[in-house]
Amino acid sequence: MKNFEFSRATSLSDASLRTQEAGVLLMAGGTSLVDLAKCGVTEPDMVVDITRLGGLDQIEVSERGATLGALSRMAAVADHAGIKAEFPAIAQSLSLAASQQLRNMATIAGNLMQRTRCAYFRDPGAFPACNKRQPGSGCSALGGVTRNHAVLGTSRECIASYPGDLAVALLAFDATIETTDRRIPIGEFFLEPGETPHLETLLRPGEIITAIVVPASAAAHRSTYLKVRDRQSYEFAAASAAVGLQLEDDGRTIRDLRVALGGVATVPWRASRVEQALIGQVLDEGTVRQASLLAVEGAVAHGDNHYKIDLVPRVVTRAILTLGGLA
Amino acid sequence: MTLIEPRKHGDASDGSLGSRLSRLDGRRKITGSATYALEQPVENLVHAVLVQSTIASGRVVSVDKAAAEALPGVLMVLTPDKVFNMMVASDWFGNRVENVPYLPLPAEVNYYGQAVAAVIAETFEQARDAARLVKVHYEETPAVTVIDQGGSGTVTAPMTVEWGDAQAAFDTADITIEAEYRTPREYHVPIEPHGLIASWQDDQLTIWEPSQWTHGMARTYAEWFEIPFENVRIISPFIGGGFGSKGGAYFYGAVAALAARELARPVKLAVTRSQGFTAYGGRASTRQTLKLGASADGVLQAVIHRGANETSTYADFHEGTGAATPIMYAVNNFSSQQGLIKVNTVTPGALRAPGKNPSAYGIECAIDELSYAVGIDPLEIRLRNYADHDYQSGKPWSTRKLREALLAGAERFGWSNRSAAPRSMRDGRTLIGWGIGCGTFPNLTNSSDAMIRILSDGSVEVESAGIDMGQGTYTIVAQTAADALGVSVDRVDVKLGDSVSAGAPVAGGSMLAGSITGAVHKAAQAAREELIGLALNAPNSPFSTSGANTLVIENGRIKTSREDSPSMSIGELMAMLGREKLEVKRDTLPEGTTREEQQKAFTHMSKVRGPTAGEFSIHSWGAHFIEVRVDEDFGTVRVSRIVSAFDCGRLYNPKLAESQLRGGIIMGIGQALLEEGLVDARNGRVVNNNLGDYLVPTNADVPPIEILSVGEPDFEASVLGGKGVGEVGIVGVAPAIANAVFHATGKRVRDLPITLEKLI
Amino acid sequence: MTHSIPLTLDINGSPHTLSVEPRVTLLDALREQLQLTGTKKGCDQGQCGACTVLVDGRRVLSCLTLAVQAEGCEITTIEGIAGENGDLHPVQAAFLEHDAFQCGYCTPGQILSAVACIREGHAGSDAEIREYMSGNLCRCGAYNTIVGAVRQAAEASR
Repeated sequence: MKNFEFSRATSLSDASLRTQEAGVLLMAGGTSLVDLAKCGVTEPDMVVDITRLGGLDQIEVSERGATLGALSRMAAVADHAGIKAEFPAIAQSLSLAASQQLRNMATIAGNLMQRTRCAYFRDPGAFPACNKRQPGSGCSALGGVTRNHAVLGTSRECIASYPGDLAVALLAFDATIETTDRRIPIGEFFLEPGETPHLETLLRPGEIITAIVVPASAAAHRSTYLKVRDRQSYEFAAASAAVGLQLEDDGRTIRDLRVALGGVATVPWRASRVEQALIGQVLDEGTVRQASLLAVEGAVAHGDNHYKIDLVPRVVTRAILTLGGLA
Repeated sequence: MTLIEPRKHGDASDGSLGSRLSRLDGRRKITGSATYALEQPVENLVHAVLVQSTIASGRVVSVDKAAAEALPGVLMVLTPDKVFNMMVASDWFGNRVENVPYLPLPAEVNYYGQAVAAVIAETFEQARDAARLVKVHYEETPAVTVIDQGGSGTVTAPMTVEWGDAQAAFDTADITIEAEYRTPREYHVPIEPHGLIASWQDDQLTIWEPSQWTHGMARTYAEWFEIPFENVRIISPFIGGGFGSKGGAYFYGAVAALAARELARPVKLAVTRSQGFTAYGGRASTRQTLKLGASADGVLQAVIHRGANETSTYADFHEGTGAATPIMYAVNNFSSQQGLIKVNTVTPGALRAPGKNPSAYGIECAIDELSYAVGIDPLEIRLRNYADHDYQSGKPWSTRKLREALLAGAERFGWSNRSAAPRSMRDGRTLIGWGIGCGTFPNLTNSSDAMIRILSDGSVEVESAGIDMGQGTYTIVAQTAADALGVSVDRVDVKLGDSVSAGAPVAGGSMLAGSITGAVHKAAQAAREELIGLALNAPNSPFSTSGANTLVIENGRIKTSREDSPSMSIGELMAMLGREKLEVKRDTLPEGTTREEQQKAFTHMSKVRGPTAGEFSIHSWGAHFIEVRVDEDFGTVRVSRIVSAFDCGRLYNPKLAESQLRGGIIMGIGQALLEEGLVDARNGRVVNNNLGDYLVPTNADVPPIEILSVGEPDFEASVLGGKGVGEVGIVGVAPAIANAVFHATGKRVRDLPITLEKLI
Repeated sequence: MTHSIPLTLDINGSPHTLSVEPRVTLLDALREQLQLTGTKKGCDQGQCGACTVLVDGRRVLSCLTLAVQAEGCEITTIEGIAGENGDLHPVQAAFLEHDAFQCGYCTPGQILSAVACIREGHAGSDAEIREYMSGNLCRCGAYNTIVGAVRQAAEASR
C-alpha cells in the first residue's frame, strides 16, 4: 500500500469538490478502502474522511417508510427496532453480513459500494488481467476457480459477483438512493458489467450518497432475507434471496411479491419474472416451486458455479413458502 | 507445630497431577501480557517483506528492484543473484549433505508463491509498499499444478504393509465394497501468522520465532550459518497455534537472519496471512482406494488399500494414507501401498495427525459402507471386528480401550435410538443423520531433560526448552513438579521455550507431554531427595534428634512421618543452609548417553521411538458419535451434536486435555465440511489463500462437544501413564461426519470437504 | 509524498502521542509504535477478529482502521479492561475459569468482542452468543468454552 494523504471533509460540498479529482477517494467506515488498498487494488493519493460530518447517520422510520442516513452503521440499522419491525429483510440482510465488528465500522452507503470478492480482481500482483481493474486487460476468472462467481448478468468481460446483502434487500423494496446531485432508483444504480465492467454504479466523480429511502409496503413488512452459505456465519452468500409477500384478504392469493437475489449475479438481481408469475396466483408449494425456476432464466454457469443455478430456485421457494407459512 | 491439611487429590481445588487446574499461563494470555515472537521489543528494528513468485515452474531471469530501492526507507532488496555463504542443514532425522550451499531465495522456481525476493526497510509499511514494486522476470516451464495432472505416482516400497493373501481373500469374500476417498490440500492457519525477529551480536544469533521445537530449529540455524549450536538462541515462550506448522525453521528465517547480518540490525519478518499458504506446506491432498471383503455376517476377510499423496517436485513428503488402516480392525489378509505424486507445490508438511487423519477417513468410511452392505449397525460392525491385538506388528496392545470408548460414547449419545435406514430421520426439511468414526494416534516417545531450581524463598523454578502452544505444558509441568516435590503448585514457576534451557523433543506427534513430564518428575524427585538429605544432615537440623532416617515434604514443609514431627519450610531450610539456590538437572536418556548423543536426541528426530519399538503396541484411541442436520434443499450440513470418547491413558489435567481434544474435533469439522485449498490449475496459485475464502469453523459452526475419557494409566506409554492427546482428537471426525451425512441423505460423498453442491 | 503526521490517540484512558503515516493502521500503530502488543494481528485483512478493539465502546477491527481515523475516539485494548488494582474484568475471569483459550493468540480479540457482545445485548442465549462471537476465529477450537465464559459473564452482569 503506497502512502496517501488523509484529510477530513469540512462539509459535503467540500468532500464532493475534492473527490472530483482523480486519485482522491472518499472514506467512510474504511473497511473496503483499507482492505483494497492492502490488496493493491486501490491506490489513492488522498483519502477524504466524511465520517465526522454531522447529520448523516440518522435512521428514521415512519408510516411512509424508512430513511437511512448514508453514514448509519450497519449494526445500528440491523438493531433498529423500527427497521426490524417494518423491514425485517433489511435488518436480517445486515445482521447476516460480515461480523459485528465490521458492521460496527461499515456504513450503509459504503456497504452498497463494496467491490466484488472475485479472487482474481483482488490480486493484481498475481493476475494482471482484470477488465474491472484495467479495462481491456482481459478476465482471469474465466477458466479459473469460479465457485463463487456470478451466473446472472455476466458478460464475456466479467463474471464477478456482487457480494453484498443489504443492496439485495433494498432492491426488493424499491429503495431510492439520494445523492448530493439527485435521486436514483436502486434498480438503476448498479451497472451490469457488459463491455464496461469497470463502471459499477451510476455515481459520477464527486457525487456522494447522502441517504437511502425505502418506501413502506405490506410486502416489506412481511419479508425475510434467506442467506445460504457453506459456513454458518461470517461468510458471503453462496446464494441469497430477499423476499416480501403480501396476500389478498383471502389469505391465499398473492397480491404483491418481491424477490431479489444475492451472491449469484454481477449486481443485486431482481427476479421480476418470478414476481410476475406469482402475483395473482394462489400460494401453494407446487406453484411457487415452478415459478421460482424463472429466477435463473438466462443464467450461465462457468464451471464450478453451476450449483448456483440449482440452488437459487430452492432458496427463492423456501423464502416465499416460509413467509406464506408453508415451510 | 504446624497443622498440615491433608491434600485433596484429583479435584479442581488442588493443583496435583490429574486435577482440573486452570491454565497457569492463562492470566498473561487474557491480559495481553503474554509476549509472542513478533512482539518482542527490540531496539533499532527494521522490517522485511517477502516477494513471492507468480509462476509455478521455471526460473528467475532477472529482478528489477530499482523502483523498490528508490522508495524512502528501503534498505535492501534481496534477490536470487545475491550469494551468501550458507550451507544446507540436515533434515529432521539428522541426515546432511555436506558442503552444499543453501539458497533461501533460489532462482529455480518450483511452485507458485515461492519466495524470490525480500525487501527490507525501516518500517513495515515501507517494506510492504516496496515489495509490490519489485518486478521479477521469469523463464517459465511447464508445471503440474494439481494432483490429478500428476499421473499415478510412484509407490514407496518401504511403506507397503502386507500379511496374509488379501487379493485371494477379497476375491472369495461373500460381500465386498470398493471405493475411492479423496482429501484436498488443507492448511494449518494458526491465528498467529509465521515470522520472526532475528538479531546478531557478533557471531551470536538470537531468534524470536514461534517454535514447536526450539532445539531442532536452533540446530538448523546453526548449520545454515555454520556456527556452533550454542551460538543460536531460539526464544519462544508463547506460540499462537502451530498444529505442526511451527516445528522447523523455514527459508524465511534464513532470509531474516541473513538480512540482519548484512545490515547489522535486527530484522522482523512477518509472513503475511496469504503468504502463509505457500511459505510452508499444509496437508497434502490425498486419494486412496479401499477394498473390503467380509463374510455375510460382517466379519472382515480382506483389506486392500492403495493410497497416494501429492508431494513437491523437489522433496518427498509422505502423508501416509495407510497409517491407520492396518491397526483399526481384526483382519487376517491385508495389503496396503502408498504412492507419491509430484506436483509443483511447496513441499507439504505435518498437519495435526499426519497420515492417521486421512487414513482414518478412508478406513472409517469404508467400514461404514460395509456395514450397510452387510446390513448391520455401524457400531456393531466395529465391535464384531474388534482387534484384540495389533495385527500389523503381532504385538499385544499396551492398553486399548476403544471398545469401552465405543460403548460409553454410544450410551451417552443414545445410539440405540438410531433409525437404521438412510433418510429415515428428519425435522421438516432438515434431514438428520448419525455417524460414527474411530480414531487413533501412535504413542511416540523421546527423552527429555529438565532443570529444577529451588530458590532461597523455597519457591521452585522448572526450566525446559519444551514449549507450550496451548496444549498446557506450563500447567502440567508445574503440576508434575509440585506433586513430586511436595509443594503447592502456586510455588512453582515454569520457564519454557528457550533453546538454551534443558533439552526437549518437538511438540509434535503428541510426544512432548509424556516426555517432558517424565524428565520433570525425575528431576523433581531427585531435588526432593537432595532437600531431604540436606535437611537431615544440616548443622542444627531440627530432625537430627528425631531419629528419622528419612523425611517427607508436604505442602512445602519438610517433616518426618510422625504426627508430632517438627517441620520447616523449604525456604527455612535454604536460609539455614545459606543457599541462594539448589539446581537439579535430570534427563530420561539411557544411562551413559554421550553428550553428542544427547544433543542428537533433542535436535533430531532420529531417537524417536515408534509405537511398537518395545514389546507392546501403544496408541491413543477415540470414537466419535456425531449428529448432522442437512438442509434437504440447500445441501448445507451443520453439525448439531458430538459425543467423543477417548482412551489417552491418564489425563494429567482433564480440563486442558478436554480443550485440546475439542480443538482437534473442531478442526475435524472444518476438514469435513469447509476446508479446501482451491488451486488454479493454470498457474498453481491457491486462490483462496486467506481466512475469508479458506474457511475454518466459526463459533456458530460448532455445537456443544461432550468429551468422555475411558483411559487408564498406561505406564508402557510414558513415565506417568499418559498417552498422546493432541492429535487423536481430529482423527475419525471427518469420517464420522461423512457417515452421518450418508445416514441423513443416502448420498455417499467420498471427497472432502462435503460442500453443498455435492448434496443438491 | 511519504510523510508522517502527528497524532494523539486516547488509549485506555491515557493520551498517546505518536507520528504516523496516514496509511498506518491502528493495529500497526498499537503494536509497532506503542508496544501495546496485546492486540493481535491474525490476518490483517478483516477476516479473523484477532485485532478487535473497542472504539467509543463499540468493537471494531483495528487492522481495517487507520490510526488517523481513530483520533478523538476512546480506544480500549486488552491492556485496558482489567481494574486499576489488577482485578480481572469479569469476562477475563470467566475465560480463565472456563479454559476459553489455548494458544491465547485470538484471546484478546475474543475478550473484547465478548465485552461488547454482552454490552450490546447480544448474549441472550447460547445460539445468539455463538452467532455474535463468530467474527472471532479460534483455530485451537475453544468455542464451547468461549460460549460458556460469555454466558457466565453475561448472567453476572444482569
